[in-house]
Amino acid sequence: MINEELLGAHRQELRRGTVVLACLLALRTAGYGYGLLKTLESVGIPSDGNTIYPLLRRLEERGLLTSEWNTDDTRPRKFYRTNQAGVELAGRLMADMTDLAAALNVLNGGETR
Amino acid sequence: MTSLTERYLAAALRRIGERERPDVERELRSSIEDAVDDRVAGGEPADTAEIAVLESLGDPARLASGITGRPLYLIGPNLFAQYQRLLVTLLTILVPVVGVGLAALELSRDGGVGDALAAGILGALGVGVQTAFWITLTFAVLERVDIAKLDDADLTAALGPWTVKQLPELPATGRAGIGETVGEILTLMLTLGGLILLRGASLPHGGSGDTVSLLAPQLTDSWLPPALAVVLVSLIGLHIVIFLVGRWTFALAAAHAVMQALFSVPVIVLALGGSIINPAFAAEIGWPPLADGNGVVMLSIAAGVLLVTAWEIIDGFRRARRAAATTSATVEAPAGVRNG
Repeated sequence: MINEELLGAHRQELRRGTVVLACLLALRTAGYGYGLLKTLESVGIPSDGNTIYPLLRRLEERGLLTSEWNTDDTRPRKFYRTNQAGVELAGRLMADMTDLAAALNVLNGGETR
Repeated sequence: MTSLTERYLAAALRRIGERERPDVERELRSSIEDAVDDRVAGGEPADTAEIAVLESLGDPARLASGITGRPLYLIGPNLFAQYQRLLVTLLTILVPVVGVGLAALELSRDGGVGDALAAGILGALGVGVQTAFWITLTFAVLERVDIAKLDDADLTAALGPWTVKQLPELPATGRAGIGETVGEILTLMLTLGGLILLRGASLPHGGSGDTVSLLAPQLTDSWLPPALAVVLVSLIGLHIVIFLVGRWTFALAAAHAVMQALFSVPVIVLALGGSIINPAFAAEIGWPPLADGNGVVMLSIAAGVLLVTAWEIIDGFRRARRAAATTSATVEAPAGVRNG
């Protein structure tokens, strides 16, 4: 019987690092805060506004995203796009992620064999 | 949007710098409106949708802290260990020294025991609160000014990487550290201060203006209390010598044992003989057994002094033995092994 609270805490821990990668990958196509939340949710990486909004600003500060106000729509929205540095970083992180998944698979296989 | 969103925005923006504020406000506002519209489009009433959206965003103070990167804690993990070490060191030194010092000063001005105790306790309390406040404030400012701009790599560069040389000594080895030397000396100074306090302590007797002293009269005029004070001062000197030598040796442990005995044996004999407290004083406060050599107070004092002294003497020899066993074993980082 798995303690749901414990599972939730570990899941959150596991996902914490992947949110950055998910944002960088998703924003290779320009997007705004709430739209990004919906995108992440639709692919199965649900997150919160109080995580994503500060994160977007931080990534921009670190020079991984560029931003632009779009006032053509019904309401003004701040659009973010992953820049060259961000794309490169995302590529490296993605490779790491794949390696990690492969490594965990090895451990998992070794255990059940 | 209604006043709830406005209040939420105001609460969050209050914590955000002037320069960023308009941009954050515009973005947050449109994000909230997007989320509310989305829920309303799903069939939810506008007012409950707004509440749900704001509550899912959570405490505006936390949101603002995430945006500014300014911590919601006073002193974070990077500084806490240093903060704690400095605070404990300073408090354990300053509080007793100031307390005993002020009490002794009050006594030397012919203040009563009560006045001296009050001066000592208030002074110790005051310096404790002041020390804790200023150190905490300093570290809280450091946490915000300095560390906020440094990431971990910069911090490591500034403070130097951690190496095994920073490891504290194992407790209770033969080495005499500065911490325990200071501790021993403070304990001895407190005992000395206590002796001085007790010597001057007295109560007014009746209405005649006479006083009745706390210590037994034969003790007040005796050479014994000054002699005990001399033994205490010698013990302080001995601890300084041990610190300078760097470790306990059997000769030092033997000298230590003799001095401890020179202090403790007379005190135990006096306590069991009922010759410490003035019986008239005990009668004055309405508790004659206080002065009695077979009373609970004197028996406890004798037993306590005996136990502490025995422990101190044994500990000295134990340390001397350990030091003899470990003198050759020094810890050096192996060449070529580096962190990082």
